[in-house]
Amino acid sequence: MSLPTFAVSLIVMSSEGNPPIVASCEQGPASDALPNVHGRTCPTRRGPNSHQRNLSLDFRPMKISLPPVAQVTAGTTVAALAATTQHHRHRSLDLDLHRIPEVDVTPSPEQQCSKAKLLPMAKSSKLKEDITSLGSDDSGICGSDSSAETRPKGSEETIATEEVKSEPEEEQPKEVVIKQTVETAAAEPAAKENCVPKKDNLLRFMESSMFQAPLAISYLFTTKEIGVQTYIANKLFTFPEQEVDFYLPQLISMYIHIPELATLIFPYLKQRCIKSAEFSLQVVWLLKSYSSDAHLTSKKKSDGTKLKTLILSDKLRPRSFHDREVVKHPLTAPSPNKKAHQRSQSDASALIVGQASAEAAENSSTCLGDLRSGRAFNTGCTCFNTHRGMVNNLKGRQTSCICSAPRLEGEVQFVDKLLAIGHLLPEVSGGKEAQAIRLRAEIDQINLNLPARVWLPIHSSSIPHHVLHISTAFSAVLNSKDKAPFILYVEVLEVDNIETSPVPQKMLNALRSTKSEENLLTNERPSPSNTSQNLATMLHSNSMGMLYPYDNDDCWTQEDDEISQQYVNKMKTDRDTISQISLESSDSRDMMVAAGDIRRRLSSAFSDPRTLARRRDPEDPSANVLSEPWMDKVQRIRDSSPYGRLANWRLLSVIIKCGDDLRQEMLAAQMLEMLQNTWKDEKLALRLRPYKIVCLSADSGFIEPVLNSVSLHQIKKQHQMSLLEYFHANFGPPNSEEFLEAQQNFVASCAAYCVVCYLLQVKDRHNGNILLDDKGHLIHIDFGFILSTSPRNLGFETSPFKLTQEFVDVMGGEESDMFRYFKLLILQGLLAARKHMDNLLILVEIMRSGSQLPCFKSGAATVQALKNRFHLTLTEEKLERLVDKMVCNSLDSLSTNLYDRYQYITNGIL
Amino acid sequence: MSNSRKWGNVSSKKPSKGKVVQIYESFFKGEDPSVGNEHFWHEFFLLKPSVSKLESELAKLNGEQLTQLKDNLNLICVQCIDILEDSSQIRIAVALQTLCTILKAITRKAASESNLDIVNILVGHDSSKKYIPLLFERCSSILSSNPNSEIKNLALRLILALATGSENLSQNTILEYSMNYTSQVLFEALVYILQDPDTRLALGQFVIQLLTLFVNFSKYEGTNPFVVQLSILDIELALIGYSQVITNHLADFCWQYTTQNADTHAGGWFSSLTNMVGSMFVSDEGSCRNQQLKNHNAILLALYEAVHLNRNFITNLVQTQADTSSPPSPTATLDNIRASAESNQAPSQIHLMANPASQPTSLLATFIEYCSIVTQDTKPDTLFNNGKLCLLILTCISEDQYANSLMHDPNLVYKVQLHRSPMRHRKIPSDPSLPAQPLACAMLDFVVEFITSHKMKRFPMELYLLSIGIAQRLVCYQKRCRVRLSYQWPELWKSLIALLRFLLSHEGTLAKKMNIFQLALQVVNIFNLFITYGDTFLPSPTSYDELYYEMIRMHQVFNNLHAMALRYSSIEGEFKEWAQKLANSLVNVRAITSHFVPKINTWLTDQGLSTPSEDQILEVVRCNYDSLMLKLQDNLDHYERYSESPHHESFFYTMVQTVISDINQNIDFTPEESVQKVFQDFASVS
Repeated sequence: MSLPTFAVSLIVMSSEGNPPIVASCEQGPASDALPNVHGRTCPTRRGPNSHQRNLSLDFRPMKISLPPVAQVTAGTTVAALAATTQHHRHRSLDLDLHRIPEVDVTPSPEQQCSKAKLLPMAKSSKLKEDITSLGSDDSGICGSDSSAETRPKGSEETIATEEVKSEPEEEQPKEVVIKQTVETAAAEPAAKENCVPKKDNLLRFMESSMFQAPLAISYLFTTKEIGVQTYIANKLFTFPEQEVDFYLPQLISMYIHIPELATLIFPYLKQRCIKSAEFSLQVVWLLKSYSSDAHLTSKKKSDGTKLKTLILSDKLRPRSFHDREVVKHPLTAPSPNKKAHQRSQSDASALIVGQASAEAAENSSTCLGDLRSGRAFNTGCTCFNTHRGMVNNLKGRQTSCICSAPRLEGEVQFVDKLLAIGHLLPEVSGGKEAQAIRLRAEIDQINLNLPARVWLPIHSSSIPHHVLHISTAFSAVLNSKDKAPFILYVEVLEVDNIETSPVPQKMLNALRSTKSEENLLTNERPSPSNTSQNLATMLHSNSMGMLYPYDNDDCWTQEDDEISQQYVNKMKTDRDTISQISLESSDSRDMMVAAGDIRRRLSSAFSDPRTLARRRDPEDPSANVLSEPWMDKVQRIRDSSPYGRLANWRLLSVIIKCGDDLRQEMLAAQMLEMLQNTWKDEKLALRLRPYKIVCLSADSGFIEPVLNSVSLHQIKKQHQMSLLEYFHANFGPPNSEEFLEAQQNFVASCAAYCVVCYLLQVKDRHNGNILLDDKGHLIHIDFGFILSTSPRNLGFETSPFKLTQEFVDVMGGEESDMFRYFKLLILQGLLAARKHMDNLLILVEIMRSGSQLPCFKSGAATVQALKNRFHLTLTEEKLERLVDKMVCNSLDSLSTNLYDRYQYITNGIL
Repeated sequence: MSNSRKWGNVSSKKPSKGKVVQIYESFFKGEDPSVGNEHFWHEFFLLKPSVSKLESELAKLNGEQLTQLKDNLNLICVQCIDILEDSSQIRIAVALQTLCTILKAITRKAASESNLDIVNILVGHDSSKKYIPLLFERCSSILSSNPNSEIKNLALRLILALATGSENLSQNTILEYSMNYTSQVLFEALVYILQDPDTRLALGQFVIQLLTLFVNFSKYEGTNPFVVQLSILDIELALIGYSQVITNHLADFCWQYTTQNADTHAGGWFSSLTNMVGSMFVSDEGSCRNQQLKNHNAILLALYEAVHLNRNFITNLVQTQADTSSPPSPTATLDNIRASAESNQAPSQIHLMANPASQPTSLLATFIEYCSIVTQDTKPDTLFNNGKLCLLILTCISEDQYANSLMHDPNLVYKVQLHRSPMRHRKIPSDPSLPAQPLACAMLDFVVEFITSHKMKRFPMELYLLSIGIAQRLVCYQKRCRVRLSYQWPELWKSLIALLRFLLSHEGTLAKKMNIFQLALQVVNIFNLFITYGDTFLPSPTSYDELYYEMIRMHQVFNNLHAMALRYSSIEGEFKEWAQKLANSLVNVRAITSHFVPKINTWLTDQGLSTPSEDQILEVVRCNYDSLMLKLQDNLDHYERYSESPHHESFFYTMVQTVISDINQNIDFTPEESVQKVFQDFASVS
């Protein structure tokens, strides 16, 4: 990218002391023609006073960011950009060029306003805190320094004002000053700092290493200055993709709802879309999720929809310069991945298959989406079947698709089909079991078309993969009253790159396929000695050209199975089994066995509680699938899968939900992740388990399942014991190491979720929504009611968070050290969260703009209320008292009990 | 289509019909109208063939006359084969139709005049090596690459006509050519049709029938390339197509049966009474059903071959199918599909997502339901054979390790509707809320039902052996793999004991005719499996107690059985050895009964009770296990593995024969509407 380097070069120049103006001068053609224009527009622009604070900032970034914009968006966007940026840019440029103080235009109210702005100290101190904490992250300067910083800040402020006196428009924005402070603190060359004009401070701040994605997004949203916006939009290119990806929902939301920003963000989105199909679809899904809200204002909607159609039309794809020549001669060859074990297909049939696939490529469009065709997700890309693809594969190079097969359509179809199941299931009558059968049928249909170049959006960012197969037997419909979310266990192959790695060949079921041939031999040839020869000659005489895959080692027999089965049993070192085998193998004519022993063995087989837990419950078919430990499941599926032998085989799981708005969930997941990272950075013990959400539309999406966990409801229902008893049963007696560790985990996670529940006002906290994992961690799920909503707005749950006596019992009672530790953790968690409040707030604030999520139904008050819950004004001591009070309140809360009772009555949740 | 168009068609057809007939006539007079007219054949194949005329002309001739006309017939046939590569679809259609008509007429003749050499009359001895394989090859290429489904249809029917040319499959010389030269191409073409979801629905049944015939061609005499290829077929789509054709066919029959039954039951007891009375006089319905079931032989044989030969097919047994042909009737949907395929609609539009009301099912679930219908009546020979084939298939399935693992998977549950014939002493439980259960449960249910409902004077011994063998195989699998199937085992035990009782009470008549000892031994062995290895596979601790309870409750039966076995083993007779084996096998059962019965009796007298409850007995049983010693018996979990030859060779031989005669009776090899359609399609294009 040319832009970042350009910006860097600029800053080098400025740090060397060259006046940066020179650079911008060269790039600002024809700007002198505009003074009169500016004179006209200024007053109108200054109408809304609230934005004025930033006005001064935009001069400097403006003149620097201008050229990159022109470069990057060379072509069509330039016009659009010019249209939106209008006069602002020219005016500031103008100023810089002539360095003429434009005193005459400045209206006085603005200055008054700016003075008024200085007043709210809380705000500035908050900002300061924000900055210093950031400084501590990046430059190792700790919070203790911040107090020292306040002094120079004041002095510099004065210097700055003096310096820019010539430009009366220039107000004293707090940010600039603070940033300056930080910059000096960050050991910038102090001498030069003084000579550099003050107006470069924001730029310098933005260039600094502290200015990362979180701040960029926040500034992008808060600033109304087109220059800063442009600069940040360009700056996006330099951030690590993952960091930006975290804010993708915010970016898209801004894209949809703030038209001025749309044009600015577009180049970044475009570039990323071109680079990655996966990203393209993420953008599409987010657009789908959020723009449906905006249908009221048709103009706004068009931005998002336009981008959506643009991406889906697949025009944004990597350009390949030699595509022309290669496409002309697509050399199809017998499929490249044909390995030795694909033995049953003769070469001749392979050729026919090759032909068929070539034909398929031609009319792939008719097959796309047709699940019966077996190629529903096959976009018809032949690049991997060509000689080029084969050679690349052998050499370990990547093959990029150069045929013009649609890049996104396969995945789009895949996701569509999964969602279609989600929409179909609730209509299936006959209860959960009928739904489960139906689900299996649909999954079987989809499996027919796998493996393909499709992926699960929820895991693709962490583990790039191709879907191999969806485990039919383990798919399950989850408990839900009227919707039918379902969980899938998906076998995938981890790949280097979703787009450039070849898709593995289809394999059939795991058991050896030799039995049939075995039968042939015994049936047809009584003398097995020359059978293979006969078969071979026969096949040769038929000129099939087929290498008959006959080797004795490969033959599967029933006996093999039996022997291996016994061996497997033996490996379990089950005392009874061994004795049984020895009994069987010996001459048992006179062997006697006591009936009592048989009966005892039988009942002992059932004494293990785990076997009982695994029994089928027709009311709740999914419980059976879910209760199995993850690793066991992975092993079982891997063992039975034909793909299990692949080294990069992985098992992923996903919950697919249709008919529920997951956008709030996604917001909550973001906040959880943010909090989790904050606490991690602050080295606090609090532990959250954020789970990923991918919204596919306003009412459907994928959810990452929390593995190895059971809901408190299930614990109560299946084991009929209290939580503490369950802990003892699962982890050991009160003072055992396992129990203490589990207790520690429980406390750390419970405290973390208490903070979350309080800050976000998470409601609907019944026991079905609270999970316990196999290490004792408490995990909250289902954030459908946050901020200012509660189920049916009954307002049952008035307590700050859910803390029942049972929880406290696990911690060791109200007088225990653990309980005190628990409260300490909450306090620490709150303090840390308060320190980074801005990062959290900005997430919510951006999503609030324009979106009509139910959690924002109280409007701006929602964000304000959230802010208030951070209790910025409280000292640490006061906060501690508050925590004590909240814990007390929660524990005694009638409403928690009441809500649990309500849930029991209405939904049968214990 | 407008009226005027129709009129035009008719008027244009009339003279052409006349012309074709004239040509036929001149051929059959021994003339060759093509001489001197180089465009003759080109034009001939554009004329719509008159099947009836051609047939009647050929029917007029006797064998000798046919042989005399050989040269002319050869000429037509060779020209037909040649034209199959033509670019004009009409010519291909006409050629296929003409060939098929001639072939069918000659084979009909050959059936009555045994010395007629079909190949010689068709293409001549000398060129047969060239033309017959060429014919197969060209038909294959039509099947795999011709875009027109009607022409595919015609080609398939032609191949079917070739395959059913002789009532005796192994005497069909034409097939020999296909075996030796073109099996690969032909097989792949057939498989290709199964792969394509559209052609599969329209033509799948023909393909399945053809594959069955090819596979059975001189199966026992030598290697058959089709057997090899079917056994190693691993194209998932094709296998799914294969199973789908079978499933649709069977599901359709089940659906028809259910609706018919629902009609009779719906009217209440009175209408059912009148129905019963009515059916006493009108046996029409029965014979009609016989005929229907006979039609299933080809499908069942196809299922058998797939299960028996192809391991990859096993997965498809439990592959849930989202019902592509939902009831009402198969033909309706078939026509729908065909219509939509012709109108070149996007296939995805036909099959968006199956409608939520229809229950998805699997081949095995459907098949078990089908079996429950078919085996209700086993008296007529056709039904007996049908039932036997069903049980053989189930035997093959229950023997397969992988199929078993699928059937016992607690996550793969299905609702299988079993049909029970009404009997005097029991009501048919009509529960609409069928529980979904693993398929092994459904299979056991079916076996139990069979055991219960066939204890009749004309005792179907063979079927009993098979059905109990199925139960035995399932239990052996569970024992071996330690699978605890949650099944109501007492149902099985009760039915088995009831069977033993039946054998005892009819010993006088049965023992003369058949080896009841073998059957009894099989039953007792199942009990022995439960007694000695119950701990490895019983679903709950109490089920072991229940087993004892059942045996103690019916101890008289076992005692009598033992007595009978001793009786027969002491006298010389053909069953002596079996009787001895049976007596030996009863050792544990007798140990149990002799151990517990006195204990229970003393307990009863102690308690002063005369009618104890089940729980009380179970309690006594539980207390007295420890003083009981059981003998470990050898080879309880061994059974004779199923093998087609030599036991069942003749059975399959006759089955194949019925399939051939059935195809010959029921399939119109020369459907004029297909040709008509081709003419319409292409007349409007050109």
